Amino acid sequence: MATEVLADEAALRQARRQRALAQMEAHGIDALLLGREANARYLAGAQRLWTAGTRPYGPGCVVIRETAAIHLVSTWDEGIPDEIPHQNLFGITWNPGNLFAWLGQIEGLAGAARIGTDSLTPRFAQILPKLFPNAEFVDAEPALEAARRVKTPEEIGVIRLAIEVAERAAEETRSRLQPGVTERQLAGVFMASMAGQGVTTPATQRVAAITTAADREDRADRTVRATDLVTIDGAVVAAGYTGEVARTWPASDQAVTPAVADQYARAEQLWARLLKASTAGASCADYIAAYRAEGVDLPQRPIVTGLGLGFDRPVVTADLAHTAGQEHLVPGMVLAVTAHVGTVIRKDSVLITTDGPELLTTSPYWKQEQ
Amino acid sequence: MSIATVEVPTAPDRTRMQRDRWARLRSVMAEQGVDAMILLGNSNVAYATGATWPLADPGRANVDRPVAVFTAEDTPPHLFCADADIDVDLPADHVHGPVFVEFDEGAQHFGRILSELLPDEGRLAVDELPGSMQRTLELFFPGSEPVSADEVVGPAKLIKTPDELGFMRQALEITEKAIAPVQAALAPGVRQTDLTATFLQAAFDLGADANILDPIWQVMPKELAAGPWTTHGDIACPLLSTERELEKGDVLWVDTGISYAGFASDFGRTWLVGAEPTARQKVQYQGWRRIIDAVLAVTRAGATGSDLTRAALDACDGRKPWMHHFYLGHGLGIESAESPFIGTDLGDSYDRRQTLMPGMVVVLEPLIWDDGAAGYRSEEVIVVTDDGYISLTDYPYDPYGD
Repeated sequence: MATEVLADEAALRQARRQRALAQMEAHGIDALLLGREANARYLAGAQRLWTAGTRPYGPGCVVIRETAAIHLVSTWDEGIPDEIPHQNLFGITWNPGNLFAWLGQIEGLAGAARIGTDSLTPRFAQILPKLFPNAEFVDAEPALEAARRVKTPEEIGVIRLAIEVAERAAEETRSRLQPGVTERQLAGVFMASMAGQGVTTPATQRVAAITTAADREDRADRTVRATDLVTIDGAVVAAGYTGEVARTWPASDQAVTPAVADQYARAEQLWARLLKASTAGASCADYIAAYRAEGVDLPQRPIVTGLGLGFDRPVVTADLAHTAGQEHLVPGMVLAVTAHVGTVIRKDSVLITTDGPELLTTSPYWKQEQ
Repeated sequence: MSIATVEVPTAPDRTRMQRDRWARLRSVMAEQGVDAMILLGNSNVAYATGATWPLADPGRANVDRPVAVFTAEDTPPHLFCADADIDVDLPADHVHGPVFVEFDEGAQHFGRILSELLPDEGRLAVDELPGSMQRTLELFFPGSEPVSADEVVGPAKLIKTPDELGFMRQALEITEKAIAPVQAALAPGVRQTDLTATFLQAAFDLGADANILDPIWQVMPKELAAGPWTTHGDIACPLLSTERELEKGDVLWVDTGISYAGFASDFGRTWLVGAEPTARQKVQYQGWRRIIDAVLAVTRAGATGSDLTRAALDACDGRKPWMHHFYLGHGLGIESAESPFIGTDLGDSYDRRQTLMPGMVVVLEPLIWDDGAAGYRSEEVIVVTDDGYISLTDYPYDPYGD
């Protein structure tokens, strides 16, 4: 949201890097070969080109713990922080030989006893141990997850801004909800509002989903009917960080049958339980218990996700129930918490504090008029 | 151009397209002795299952990803997915709930499923190995040492089927229709991010599934020295869009793409803000035209990547008329840049081994840099035929030429 491409703020960069270096030390990792952009951004604080979807692993950011030196694949220095000097940048390459030569000359990498990667491919799993025969290769994700799960004050500031953008765009999208509009048209309104606010990267792109259309033939781009409920699930990536909010709205009064009104009421009751479960020290299994207590089946999608540079830990879902039992909420976590009852969804972002949950999202939600 | 054996149907058939893909995948698997594939990467899953969904930010796409299992047996693949709205045409008993493979608990759950689905013996291929999946494979398939699934999917998707070409043309048409109002809105005072807003809204209105790349509307400096420092001393591009306001006479290098029906599109042109091209700028465009014409003149099945780079170099007095960190040309399809790659730092010996074949889709992106007056760059998407090519790009070169 500027007129030039800037690196992340110095205070944000330093606080994150300290946490990551401390976790490297705690996990006995001497160097990182990072492929995932969120991890690279966390350590380097550089803005690189956004593309949608998963990317195959390839080491595009190298971190040496002893010197705290960061090396980055970037052909130019725009958006690169000052503490990463030109000699630590390596231009985009299509030639694995050139990439390996670059890795080979990075000071401190050849001597590293334990090197962490944040994923691998079968090719890199074969080649990296040959390039660095003295190193033990380990999974760095546990260390990086530990660093990233609790947000610094600077990160929370950026997330607040991202949420504001998402909420304004979602509200503008809702203002265009009416029978006859298509899901894609609503998504287009969201994208235009987001970009108009200076943020050009979405976190998700479904945006609008008719939740009452499960049995309709055309799945690709459905048209809203007067009897439909539509979930507007808007999520943006601003300065790397996710801001999101979701609400289900009736397309018209005709959509609000007694059964639907009941689902809304139960979603609010469930939401109240989930908010109560968002307490520092509580087990993440309490979120699953909240669904059970309300007698609501858990949806397939996670009901809780940590928010940061994409998804962070914890991620709470029925299939990861054991994991949830081992995770506890810590002040400084930012979570997207979803109450999902039938065709009604309410998702808010919550900051865990020592004084209880702070609701970061302030979007209105549908209520039966008295 | 003479008669082409490659056809681009106006009504592509999704079911036939997917059947053709499965046959190709099985043929490559047979060649490589691969018995089963576990696919985690979004583009590989989209190719193997035909599923389409709006792609998410990579920071969440890892957690929330559809996963596919494809075996050499003659049955459709299995898809595991949390997205109730995913657009997929597979038998109901092959579409399953999600597996959260980024977590040890989820990966082990998936490992138990794999034990049921996969043959007891045989060679396994995977495209990605997060730590959780490495541990699970060691647990459930000890000593299996999976090979690269990218090296199965890559050759399978290299040559497009007629149905794939039909969908790709639709994806490109949506992109061009969505870009037209953006060009019409160019004016001093308009911000780069406003152009993005106009483009994305139009693209979604026209039925695009997703934006796949933060759209580029780069204001080019007149001189290289006025641009950012680069590792190679050449042009820095693509640079990200900001709220910078356009000024009269700005030279914009445009690069963007969307996804539709599981395909990536690609679009590139040079625009001027509120101005007609100067005589010097017209010469730049003519220079670019000379290069693209020279490259297209040698483009046909049997030509090598090196033939194309040679034609470009000869048309430009031996200077390399493309970005040094990219290529003269790249393939397009499931991904916005896939094989074949032509003119990369893999070198001429690599380019000589890249033989064009009928049905390959290539994006050619030569450029003219005229230090002191910026330059001209456009992209042309073509499909290779036996004796030439069919152009898939159909967008004017305004304000430079017809």
